[in-house]
Parts: sequence; structure tokens; C-alpha cells
Amino acid sequence: MAAELTAMEKNMKRRARRRNLVAYSFIAPNFIGFAIFTLGPIVLALLMSFAEWDGSNAMKFVGLQNFVNIFKDDRFIASLKNTIVYSIFTVPITLAMALGLAILLNQKIKGRDFFRTVAFFPYVASLVAVAAVWNMLFTPAKGGIVNQILMNVFHAAPLKWAASSSTVMLTIIMFSVWKNMGYYMVIYLAGLQGISEDLYEAAALDGASSMQKFIHITIPQLRPTTFFVTIMLTINCFKVYDIVYMLAGGSNGVVNKSAMVLVFYIYEEAFRNWKLGQASASALVLFAIVLVVTIIQFRGEKNYAND
Amino acid sequence: MKKRILSSILAMAMVVASITACGSAAEQAPAEAPAAEAPAAEAPAAEPAAEPAADTAASDEPVNLKWALWDVSSTVYYQPLIDAYTAAHPNVSIEMVDLGSTDYSTVLGTQLSGSGSDFDVVTIKDVPGYVSLVNKGVLEPLNDRIAADGVDLSLYNGVTDQVTIDGNLYELPFRSDIWVLFYNKDIFDKAGVDYPTNDMTWEEYDKLARSVTDTTPGAEIYGSHYHTWRSTIQLDGILDGKHTIVDGDYEFTKPYYEMVLNQQKDGVCMDYATLKTQGLHYSAAFAQGNVATMNMGSWFIATLIQKIKDGEYTDCTNWGIVKYPHAEGVEPGSTLSTITALAVPTSAPNKDAAWDFVKFVSGAEGAEVMASTGNIPAMTNDKIVDLIASMDGFPTDDASKEALVTSHTYLEMPANDKSSEIETVLNEQHDLIMNEETSVDDAIAAMNEGVQAVLAQ
Amino acid sequence: MKSKKANRTIGKVIIYVMLILLALIMLVPFVWMISASLKFNKDVFVIPFEWIPKAPRWQNYIDIWTKIPLAKFTLNTAKLTLIVTCLQLLTSSFAAYAFAKLEFKGRDLLFLAYVATIAVPWQVYMVPQFMFMRGLGLADTHLAIIILQAFSAFGVFLMRQFYEGIPDSLCEAARIDGMTEYGIYAKIMIPLSKPALSTLIIFTFVNTWNDFLGPLIYLTTESKKTLQIGLKMFISQYSAEYGLIMAASVLSLIPVFIVFISLQKYFVAGITTGAVKG
Repeated sequence: MAAELTAMEKNMKRRARRRNLVAYSFIAPNFIGFAIFTLGPIVLALLMSFAEWDGSNAMKFVGLQNFVNIFKDDRFIASLKNTIVYSIFTVPITLAMALGLAILLNQKIKGRDFFRTVAFFPYVASLVAVAAVWNMLFTPAKGGIVNQILMNVFHAAPLKWAASSSTVMLTIIMFSVWKNMGYYMVIYLAGLQGISEDLYEAAALDGASSMQKFIHITIPQLRPTTFFVTIMLTINCFKVYDIVYMLAGGSNGVVNKSAMVLVFYIYEEAFRNWKLGQASASALVLFAIVLVVTIIQFRGEKNYAND
Repeated sequence: MKKRILSSILAMAMVVASITACGSAAEQAPAEAPAAEAPAAEAPAAEPAAEPAADTAASDEPVNLKWALWDVSSTVYYQPLIDAYTAAHPNVSIEMVDLGSTDYSTVLGTQLSGSGSDFDVVTIKDVPGYVSLVNKGVLEPLNDRIAADGVDLSLYNGVTDQVTIDGNLYELPFRSDIWVLFYNKDIFDKAGVDYPTNDMTWEEYDKLARSVTDTTPGAEIYGSHYHTWRSTIQLDGILDGKHTIVDGDYEFTKPYYEMVLNQQKDGVCMDYATLKTQGLHYSAAFAQGNVATMNMGSWFIATLIQKIKDGEYTDCTNWGIVKYPHAEGVEPGSTLSTITALAVPTSAPNKDAAWDFVKFVSGAEGAEVMASTGNIPAMTNDKIVDLIASMDGFPTDDASKEALVTSHTYLEMPANDKSSEIETVLNEQHDLIMNEETSVDDAIAAMNEGVQAVLAQ
Repeated sequence: MKSKKANRTIGKVIIYVMLILLALIMLVPFVWMISASLKFNKDVFVIPFEWIPKAPRWQNYIDIWTKIPLAKFTLNTAKLTLIVTCLQLLTSSFAAYAFAKLEFKGRDLLFLAYVATIAVPWQVYMVPQFMFMRGLGLADTHLAIIILQAFSAFGVFLMRQFYEGIPDSLCEAARIDGMTEYGIYAKIMIPLSKPALSTLIIFTFVNTWNDFLGPLIYLTTESKKTLQIGLKMFISQYSAEYGLIMAASVLSLIPVFIVFISLQKYFVAGITTGAVKG
């Protein structure tokens, strides 16, 4: 009995090892390159957050000093706050818009390919062009189109949009949704193709309405895609940089505290002040936030999968 | 798996540490004496090395110098400088490496990180970039070489003093731009107002700008134009020589901000917020032909001449320049300047040959080449001014030529350990003032507090 | 019956009106680009904006061809993009299969590590990475760019999520039939994930094609440079020459569109996983 058990255990262990080996063989080609050239430098960079380094002189270990410094820096605090505000609004709005677009453009309608390409366009178009058009519409001058509408249709006071501390984040969020929803639409479109037609047919036989089909088939089936989109959106929102630079920086590149975001701060610390340790410390904060969000999402996905 | 990750991290850390600590010897030119590599051994070694080095530079042994710079195809003076140098030193060849202009400081800083770089000569774009490279210890101190070769620093009009850090000079300027007041003669003719002069106080300038302004919608004439840079307004205050932009007290900027804010309110100049978001370049603003005067650096001269020649600018063909306005009781001709300089990295494979080239470009011979291409060299004299003013397309009136002669020049940003951080504070408050988000007094208080905090670090 | 039909027509009309409005909003920047590319620089940012230039300056399109070695740069970029996209596609779909469909020790932790690294801004590890690559003698080589781009975590993440959507029962059935994991990957997963692979191709292509700072830092020799460096350098040299910049940008967009449009056909619903199951 005991001998049998150990034999079985052995067998199981052997099988588990074999399974592990097969799995590793799948991962290896990507992982080796990734670990050496990306993961390694990243871990090193994150370790750098405990050191003082300018890229040349010897590294000096300073413990938590970098973190103390950044949390005392009101530019960092402002950028952290702005980044969070930006993400909280941008993530759900973009997600909803992208999903809506994808469902709309997944139907059999005329000119579908054209509309899909058009929706993807702002993502690939030159940022200079996209920002220029945006700034033309949302110019702080009274003569701007949006301000004209505000004044004549809504009888409201004209806004200064990107030029004012109170509306600059709003302007950036709207812009970002517009520019990026096409990108996430593409991901959703691909996700929609993976849903089996059979499910819809079966539901139709049961007399389900299209709303019911959407809630009970489309949404759950898209869960892996939504997980991906949410994480990527969150990460990309936390890494936002060039949009802010184009909209709030304008012709002199000066971004003040009302629009400062984390990566902007990191860039300044790293390449203007060459305080790579401090830049890394800020990145570690960003990293920690995203990690928490990811783990929460990941748990949610696992729980769902286990149901 | 964990172990594997950990060990790969360790391996990586070791590799990087070894690169940082001693430099990868394999990448260095093998001919270099290993002793010269260690920064500590450098300073004493430099002087005895300088003499035999001069011999090698003069010898026929072929040397190839790698020169880091930006915008090769649109900068007119790189090739003439190289041609002039290699004509006298046929054994030297010079390879230009274009790192692009927008991210130049970032790319150069990354390339010079550690000590594996093989650049012999690097161009230094601005003072904050210079200071950060000096702090990183990647630039060769030049004092001993300057003394050994008897370079006369007084010919640089005091500019080199402003970039001396802890008694050492790490770069030699070869190009220097000064700020002047550009104006559109047609607008003054039409308004029947006298042209600006080389001797104007700020008050007279303000009055003059207002006298040609026209606020009729659709047919606006702007008496003045300030590009969105901090320098166009804030730095006007340092020209009396009593203040610097890094001393932590900015009360002196108040009258200038008030003057411009009032002009903005009265429609004398375009609104900062619109200018900033619209992204209108100063050259495009001046080219529209409705800007009467504009303070800008002398680099705009070459652009104007070229664009008018090409037929692109048709509404500002009749232009002139005068000296910067000055504060009451200050000698006219005080102005801002920016310099472009050359330096030798500590990791340079051919330091002696590189220094010889730097000396040539920044010296009298290089200056003539620069002037003949329409650019103002750092080393100026009457002959150089004549050369520039005689260029085809330069305004023919005497005042414009006279405007190039300066009495005092102040760097837009003097060399200071903290220049980039100070700049951040000042830029932010400038933006808030000009957007009319804070009062001038509050912004000045914030500048004082912010810069003093930076200086105290 | 009649009212249902009418309702559907109204619905269709609303959809089309929405789509056309959307298309307009999305197309404005493109029109702006083309319009600006036909102007003198001094006129680009002038308000009111002139949508159809009175005297279009086709010269801009000729100038950019003569001012930078566009052909050489395009060739370099095409080469890099092609290699990176192939490698990326192969390695990440391969790895993603293990993450999605295989049980193994350390799976979740490793996966989290992959995803979390996407969150680290490149600016932070750019310097150590560069020094490391230079230590390996890879500075100023195309190999460096390929290595940096080809093993990204993004591709693994994207592919894993699509595989997650494919029912496990399919794999189980194949395993019972005696198919190896490699067989399942090649014969079942790959054919089913065409939309996902197309998505990855599009994104990788766009990213590599538009990548700028990486090549700028790594590639210093003129003949090795890529199109985006060329364009950006061109932009900075003619720093305010928006007319020329837009002409160059319009041209560089063309390949991206070709790729996007040609991959459209894989975005068609109707893959019935049930058929395989049944």
C-alpha cells in the first residue's frame, strides 16, 4: 500500500516535472530575451531608487533618502495627484467608448472597414497634428469654435482650456479619450471575434433580447479582453507624458503644477537634473500603484475563472 | 524560478557595476596609456603630457576625431570649420555624429554615461546641460591646457568667467548669440513714427510700442511681441548688472512683468495664453507683418535673411535691428547672450588632437570661418562685426550694424550647480504670471521661496 | 411587423449619423496634416486656419526627399520592423500559450512580473540598459534595436488574454486524442487566434515603425539610422518648418495604413469554436 502510494507520488511528481519542463520550453524563447535585456535593467533601475547616481560617478547607497526627497517635493506630490485624477477619469471613459465603438463597428454595416480605419486614425496620426487641431478647437481665445458654442448656445463664459489651471486636466482627459479610444477599439474588435456565434444563436432561440445578449454573453465572454484593456489603459494612463507635453507645454514646453504628471517629473529628474536615483524612486511609486491595481484585477479574473 | 531570476539579476548588476567602475577597457583605443583612464591620475598627468601631445598632433600619424553635434545638414558652419582645420592638419580626419537637436542633451548625457563613449569632441548646447556634464565628471578640465598653450581668455568678453565652475573651465565657446530688438520698418513708416534707436530706455520702448499699436479687430498691429520664453521678459531685469537670475531674490523682475502685462491687457502684444497653446513660432509671428518690434536673439538674423531671399517672408522684408532697451542710467549695449561651446570628454580616445581642434574652432581662425557664414563667433572684434554686417540681405542702415556691438553681455543662465532646478521654478512662475493666474507679487514670492529652497539643498 | 421594420430603419439611420459624425471628428487631424503639408511654415499656425491652401506648395513633398536619405532610412526601418514583428509574434504567442493553458510552478508570479514591467517607464532604465548593451558591444547596431523590441511583455500579455478566451475543453479534448502541447499550439490555438495575431502585428508594426528615442540613442552611424530618426532630425533641423514636417508625417503614415487595412479581413466574426467542439 505504502509502496504503491510512493510510486504514484513519484509518478505524479515526474509528470509535474515534465509538465513544468514543457511549459518552460514554451516560455523560454521570450523569457530569456526579456529577462536579460528588459527585466534585468528594470530591476536594476528599481534598486537604483535606494542609491544616488548621476549615470557616471560611483553609485552611492542612500537608503530611503530618495523617497524622503520626492515626497517632500511639491512637484512630485502634484504630479502624483494629477496622474491619479487623470487615470480615474480616463480609464473608464476610454474603456466604455472603445467597447461601444467596437460593438458598433462589429455589425454588418456598409463602409465598416472605412469607419474602423478612421477610428484608429487619431492613434497613429502625428501627435503634433492631432494636438494642433485640438488646440485650434479649444483655443483660449474667445473666437475659438468651442468657446463660441459655449457662449452662444449655452450662454456660458468662455473657458481658457489648456491655459488655465482649473480646466487643463479636463482638456487633457478629453483629448486622451479621443486619441486613444480607437486603439482599444481594435483590441475589443479582436476580442469580439473570439466569441462563438453558437452562444448568440442559442440565446436567440431562448428569445433573449439584444440587451440581454449583451449583458449575459458579450460582457462575460469579453472578460479576458477587458482585463487586458483595463490593465493596459491603467498603465498607459500612469505613463502619460507626450500628450501633456503637447497640450499643456505649448510653445515653450513649460508645464506647471496643475498639469504635471509622474513621467514628466521622472523625465525632468533623470535627464535635466541627472538624479537617476530620484527618478527611479518616483518610478517605483508608479510601479507599486500599477502592481496593486493589476493584482486586484488579476484576483478578480481568477475568481471569475474558478466560478 | 525565483533563484534563476535572482541570479540573472546579480549577473547583470555585476556587469553594469564593472562598466561603471572602470570602463570597459576593450572599447577604449588600445594605444591610450591606461594611467590616463583613472580620473584621479588625470590632473597631474595632463601637463607633462601636453607637450609631447602637441608633437603627435603635428606629426603625420593619422587621427580620426569623432565630433558630437546636431543638425548637420542645416548648420552652415560645421563643414567649413572642418575644412579649414584639416587643410592645416592633413593627418586629421573629423567624423560628425548627429545626435539630433530636440533631445540632444538627453542623448549626449546617455552616451557619455559610464566611460565607454568614443567621442573626442562634444558640442555643448546650453549651460544647464554643461553643468550637468561637469557634475557627472565626464568633461576634461581645460585649465592646464589653456595655460600651457597660452589661450587668451580675455578675447571672449568675460563669457568664459561665467562658465567657470570651481575655478575650472571645461568648455570653450565658439558661437555666441546676443539679444537685439528686431523691428519692421514698414509699420513705423505707415504710422509716421520714428524708428527705434540704439539708445532707448524701457520706458521709451514701451511708449514707442504703444504709439504704433492698432487694436482694430481684423487689422491689428502689435507694437511689441514677446515669445513665450521666460527670457523675453524676466531676464530684461538682469541687464542693469545689479542682479543675477540665480541669486534667489526676484523683486527686480516686477517692473518688466508689469510693463508686459499692461501691454497684454491693452492689446499692444499678443496674449500669452493664446500664443502658447496655438504654438505660434516667433518667426511666423514676425513674418505676418503686423508685429512692429520683437526682442529676440541674433540667430534670427540668418533665418530672416534666408527666408526673405527664398520668397517665403513677404510682409517683413523691410526690417532692422537696434540694441536692447536698457534700464535708466545703464550704458546701452547691455544684453543677454547664449553660447555654444566645445568640450573634450574624459573618455575621449584622442584627447590631445581633440584639444587642438577645440582650440582652433574657438580661436581667431575659427571665428573668421563662423563670421563668414553669418554667425556670431564667441570671440568678436570689429573685423567680425564688419564681416557680418556686410552680408547680403543684412539691413544697410548704420544703426543695425551698430546694434551688434555690445557693452556688457549676460548669459541667459550662468553656470550654477542648480541651474536646471532653478530654471524649473522660474519657468513655472513665469507661466502663472503670464496666464494671469497669480499676481506678480505672489509669483515673485513663490520664486524667491522656491529658488532659495533649491539653493539651500 | 411594420413598426418593427420602421424602428430598424430609424436605428440604422441613427447609427450612420453617429458614424459619420465620428468619422468627421476623427478625420479632422488628417485633413489638417495634409493641408499643413502644402503650406509655407509661416502660415501653418495662423488663425483662422485655411483648410484648402490657396497656393498649395507641393515643393514640400519634393524637399523632404532631397533633404534626407529617405530611401536608406526607409529600408533600415522596414528591415527592423519586419524582423521585430516576426520575432515578437513567434516568441510571445508561444509563451502566451504556456501562461494561458498550462499549469506550472511559478506561473502567476512570472506573469505578474511580465505585466508589471510594462508599468516601468523606459526613461528610468534607459541609462543602465544602454550601458549594458554597450558593454556587450551592441551600441550602434541594429541587433540592439531588435533585441529591445522583440521580447516585449506587451505581446505576451495580449496573446495570453486571447487564449484565455478560447475554451479549455478544446485543449483537453486534443490532449485526450494524444496531441502534444506543441501540436495543440500549432494546430488549434494559432488558427483560432488570427484576429489576435493581426492585432499584435498591427501594434508591433506601429510601435516599431514609430519608435524614435531607442534608435536615436543606440544608432549613431548615419547609414544605420531609421526613418523616424530621419524625420525627427529633419523636424528639429527645420525646427519650425511645420509644412515640411507634416509632409514627412503624411508619407510615413502610408505603410501603417496599408498594414492596418490589409489585416482588416481577419477581423471578421464567424469563427465558430463550437464546430471544432461538436
